[in-house]
Amino acid sequence: MIHLKNICKTYSHRTKVLRDLNLNIHPGEFVSIVGQSGAGKTTLVKILIGEERVDSGQVEIGGWDITRLSRREVPYLRRQIGVIFQDFKLLPKKTLAENIAFALEVSGGTNAKIKSIVPSVLKIVGLEDKADRYPTEISGGEAQRAAIARALVHQPKILLADEPTGNLDTINADEIIDLLLRINRFGTTVILVTHNREIVNRLNRRVVAMERGEIISDQEHGKYVL
Amino acid sequence: MNTILRILKFSAQDIARNVWLSVATITILVLTLFSINIMATVRVISDNAIEVIKGKVDFSVYLKSEAGEGEILALKTKIEGLNNVKSVDYVSKQQALQKFRDKNQNNQQVIEALRELGKNPLSPSLNILPNDTTQAAQLVESLKRLDSDIIESRDFSDNAAIVKKVDYITGKINEAGLFVIIVFSLTSLLVIYNTVKVTIYTHRREIEIMRLVGASRSFIVAPFLVSALIYTLIAILLITSIFFPFLTLLQPYLEVFFTGYNINIVSYFINNFWFIFGVEFLAAAFAAASASLLAVRKYSKV
Ligand SMILES: Nc1ncnc2c1ncn2[C@@H]1O[C@H](COP(=O)(O)OP(=O)(O)OP(=O)(O)O)[C@@H](O)[C@H]1O
Ligand SMILES: [Mg+2]
Repeated sequence: MIHLKNICKTYSHRTKVLRDLNLNIHPGEFVSIVGQSGAGKTTLVKILIGEERVDSGQVEIGGWDITRLSRREVPYLRRQIGVIFQDFKLLPKKTLAENIAFALEVSGGTNAKIKSIVPSVLKIVGLEDKADRYPTEISGGEAQRAAIARALVHQPKILLADEPTGNLDTINADEIIDLLLRINRFGTTVILVTHNREIVNRLNRRVVAMERGEIISDQEHGKYVL
Repeated sequence: MNTILRILKFSAQDIARNVWLSVATITILVLTLFSINIMATVRVISDNAIEVIKGKVDFSVYLKSEAGEGEILALKTKIEGLNNVKSVDYVSKQQALQKFRDKNQNNQQVIEALRELGKNPLSPSLNILPNDTTQAAQLVESLKRLDSDIIESRDFSDNAAIVKKVDYITGKINEAGLFVIIVFSLTSLLVIYNTVKVTIYTHRREIEIMRLVGASRSFIVAPFLVSALIYTLIAILLITSIFFPFLTLLQPYLEVFFTGYNINIVSYFINNFWFIFGVEFLAAAFAAASASLLAVRKYSKV
């Protein structure tokens, strides 16, 4: 599903953020990526969604070589990868349903598609009764679930989650992880970037640990190292 | 269809959410268009003025009363043969008197004096119109050198100098106007550029999310272009509704200035409405769209 071969990344002349990194992720996997602040985790996510380009090496997603993706092609990549962040990125002046519909509106979804998909993704994340609430009227956990619902509108094969629980308490965080696991069971490859030791240990899934732009450990049923 | 409606919706939201910025943008566009149209007006008026004055550039050669028809016609032919002569008009003694009477028909004293005189005191004359008023000085020289017994006196009105002056003044006005237009146009472009910059700033979350969920580049850019078009369209509508009342106010002054000549600035702009405002719309829309595109390129990372 994802093949990273010898990728290197440097921001404006400074030290290498990613050094000769190799990583293969198979379809349907649930992979946690851990590492200290500045290890290059978010940079890796940005490379996967075409926001940043590698200096050298090769990036392949679902058989598509995106190493030198043109700006024009980026939107098509984004429609195949769902992504969520620590800060939810919901529009405050739109209801949850409108936030989700927005993602389809701007990427060319038909009205019929919007009508059928918005309720179905809301149902997957368990927010069907809060569709008309505004982001300010819900909890952080619910906001992240709404963001996940939005990430699912294109039925992506891959879901990237960059510290999705960073702003949440334990209970809400666990709910989000359970939701990610459920989505993974439907067949979506999930990549979870996190700092949370308990979550990683409880998951008992593959763990990739990064340090200063390199992978220092990669375990099939890993624990939080460092 | 869906896409077009959505782009229009986003554009309307852009405009509404930064209302004052939109007002400023439209204002500067209106000012620019106003200065351009003022220049066009000055142009029309000065062209008319020059035409009018050129029509008044003529020279007269007054002849002795006793000059015979044959001699006069010979002289006429001779003058017609000179360089830069458009026409030579023979005004006989009787015609001159008739003209004089018509001109003074309300002046009882003059008519009375004429009657007391008992005879026609006026001289026959030849009126000469030059082809090219700017070269009239040479014709004046030739006429001065003209040697004939029957010539009593010569009159060279100085209107040619006036034409030169008007030409010079309008030239200066055009230069100043061009400067004003350039300043306003550049200001417009800057304002539009900054409007888009601010709009992008106020919409940075939307744009970020649009990019994340896979909105195509054209979909992100299009609303800004549509907004630019809407700004220009509103500006053009405003300028037409401001400019025609302005011309209507100007018209009476023009009529006083150009008494006896048919100059109608309002109907000039009405007759050329689609050309003038169409070209202005196209040019302004093109400039506004380019400025937006530059700003979007620079600030929205698409
Ligand atoms: N746009 C950028 N320009 C320059 N340097 C950057 C940029 N983004 C990240 N960096 C640098 O690259 C390094 C890796 O950043 P990155 O965000 O990938 O780390 P991270 O592992 O996600 O950290 P965190 O756990 O704090 O989120 C850091 O040293 C950071 O300062
Ligand atoms: Mg990070």
